[in-house]
Amino acid sequence: MAAPLRLKATSASPGVATGPAYIAAPLTAAASPPSGLSGHAELDDAIKTAIRELQDLATGTDPESSDIIEFQIEVLQDPTLTEMAGARIDAGENVAFAWVGTLDAYIGELECSEEDQMRARAVDILDIKNRVLSVLTGTSLDDFPAGSIYVGRDMEPSRFLAHDWSAGGGIALYAGSAVGHVALLAKSRSIPMVIGAGQFTTDRGQHIGVDGDAGVVVLQTADENTMPAQFDHPATGTAPEADNGSLRTADGSQVLLSINVNAPDEVDSILAATTAGIGLMRSEFAVTSLGDAANEEKQFAIYRRLLGWADGRAVTIRMLDIGGDKPLSGLTEAPSLRGVRLLLARPEIARVQARALLRAAVFSNLRVMLPMVTFPSDVDDIRQIYREEASELARRGVPHRIPPIGMMVEVPAAALMLDRFESADFFSFGTNDLAQYLIASAREDADFALYQDRAVPAVLRLLSQAVKLAGGKPVSICGDMAGDPARTADLLAAGICHFSVAPARLPAIRSAIVGLNADGTKAAGE
Amino acid sequence: MSGGLRIGGRETEQVHASCETEVEVKHGVGLHARPSVTFTRLAKSFPCSIEVAVNGSDIWLNGKSIIKIMGARIRKGSVIRIRADGILAEEAIRALKDLVERNFDEEKRHGRTA
Repeated sequence: MAAPLRLKATSASPGVATGPAYIAAPLTAAASPPSGLSGHAELDDAIKTAIRELQDLATGTDPESSDIIEFQIEVLQDPTLTEMAGARIDAGENVAFAWVGTLDAYIGELECSEEDQMRARAVDILDIKNRVLSVLTGTSLDDFPAGSIYVGRDMEPSRFLAHDWSAGGGIALYAGSAVGHVALLAKSRSIPMVIGAGQFTTDRGQHIGVDGDAGVVVLQTADENTMPAQFDHPATGTAPEADNGSLRTADGSQVLLSINVNAPDEVDSILAATTAGIGLMRSEFAVTSLGDAANEEKQFAIYRRLLGWADGRAVTIRMLDIGGDKPLSGLTEAPSLRGVRLLLARPEIARVQARALLRAAVFSNLRVMLPMVTFPSDVDDIRQIYREEASELARRGVPHRIPPIGMMVEVPAAALMLDRFESADFFSFGTNDLAQYLIASAREDADFALYQDRAVPAVLRLLSQAVKLAGGKPVSICGDMAGDPARTADLLAAGICHFSVAPARLPAIRSAIVGLNADGTKAAGE
Repeated sequence: MSGGLRIGGRETEQVHASCETEVEVKHGVGLHARPSVTFTRLAKSFPCSIEVAVNGSDIWLNGKSIIKIMGARIRKGSVIRIRADGILAEEAIRALKDLVERNFDEEKRHGRTA
C-alpha cells in the first residue's frame, strides 16, 4: 500500500482520531431564514408550516387527538394572535420573541383561569408556541454518523453540539479558527481537531485520520478492518477521587475544585463526586440561536439536567454571554454590546432565561452568574428582572426560587471596585477577558497568546487586590489560568481557594494543589 | 360605499348589510374548545366582520378569534348578541344563530358530550 498522504494543517484540539470521512455540504443560506423576508412574512410562513405539520399529525389519529389538533390549528389561525405578534414586530421586536411574548401572555392568562378546562388548555398553547418557534429558528441540522471525521470548510457550534461524539471521531477543516467556538468546544471534549488544511479531496466514507497533536490530516489510511479503536477517549488511568472536589493543600487548607461546562452532555462521562460541582456553565454554548434563547422550556430542561447530574452540588449557570465576538445566530442588533449590557438592552432575552433559571432553582443548588459586569447597577438591574419574573411566576402559581446571583469579574473596572458590588452574592474571575482588557489586546489577534503571557503579573496583582476587596464573599476563578498548573501557586498566593477548570484539567490541577501550601509555597519534600 | 366592490346598486344593498341577532346558549358547558372551534370556523367562512357581545355587555369581541370567544366565558344560559357587517352579513347571522341553537352540532359527534 502506498504511504499515507499527510496534509499539513494547524492543530486546534489535541489527540488523534481516524474514521470514515463525512464531507459536509457547504454552508448555505438555507440554515438561516432568507433575509429579504419581513418579520410578518416570516411568522406567517412559520405558522403555515406548523399548521401543515399538525395536519399531518392529525391524519389517522383518534377523534380525541384530532379534536386537540383542530383546536391548536384554530388558535394558530386566530387573527387576534397575528395582530398582537404583528404589533410587537412593528415595535422592533425580533420575530421569535414577538411570537413567544404574545403566546406567553396568553398562556399566563389561561394558567390563571378559575376553570379547570381553561387551565388545561395552557399546555396545548405551549405546544404550538414551541412548534412555531422551532420552525422559525430552523434549528434542526442533519447529524452525521457517529465516529466520523467531519470534513468541511467550517463547522457551526450547533452542529458540534447536536452531534453524538461518544463514539469518537474528529474534525478536519479546510479553513476554521483555532480560537473559534468549535475549537473551544472540541478542546473541552477532547475531540481531535485540525484547521487550515486547505481544500482537499477525499471521498465520503473514505477512512482518514486527524492528528491534532502534530496538526496533520492523514489521507489514505489503511482500510477500515485495521482500524479498531486504537485511539480511545483519554483513558482514565487512575480512578479519580470521589472527594466531592474538596481538597487539602499540603498544610491542610481546603481548596474546592469545580468544572467548567459548555454543553449539558459534557458531564455525562464525569463522576459528579469527583468535583465540587459546576463552577461555570457557559449557557451561550447550549443556547446557540435566537430561537433557543426564546425557548424557556428547552433552557429549563438543560438546567434541570445539569442539576440532576450535580446531585446537590452547586451548579453555576452563567447567563448568556453573547454579543461582540460571540454572536447569537439570528440576533443582528447591537453587535457592539456584549454580556450583561446586551441582556439589559434586550431584556426579553434575559427574561426568558431568568424564568427558566427561576423554575430550575427549585430543584437543587443553582446559582446564577452574570457575564461582563462593569458597574454595580448592572447587578441591581438584573436582580430587578428576577424579582419581576418571580412575582409573575407566583401569580401563575408556577414553583420557583430566586437563586444566589453572582458575577464574573472580567472587566478591570469591576475588579478594581469589587467592594462596591453589594448586591452580588459571589464573584468568579474570568482571566481571559481580564487579561485582554488589561493589555488592550483583541482576543482574535494572532499575538494574543504572546501578550497574554506577558500580562500575567498584572492580572495576578489585580486578582490579589480584588480578593481583598471581595470582603469575605465567596470567590472563585474559572478562566484559563485556573486550569494551568504552572499558575496554581500564584493563584493560591493571591488568596483564591476555589478553582473551576475544564474537566480534562482536573487531574493536573488536583495534583498541583496537593503539592502546595495554602500560600502557594512548595510543600516540604516536593 | 367602496366603488370597487359595487356590482350594481341593488345587488350591493342586498349583500352588504349590517345585521344583529340575539340567542341563548343551551349547550351544557358553554363555549369551550370544541364548540368555539366550530363557531369561529363558521364565522371565518363569511367575508363580513362578525362580532359577539355576551350578557348585555357592550364590549364587542371578534367572532373569528377563538381566543376571544373562549375567553368570553359563554356558559349555559348566557345570552349572546352576534352582529355582522359587510358582504353576506344576513347569511352569516342566520348560520351562526342556527349553530348555537343546534348546540354547536355536538350531538352529531358520535354521541359524545363535551
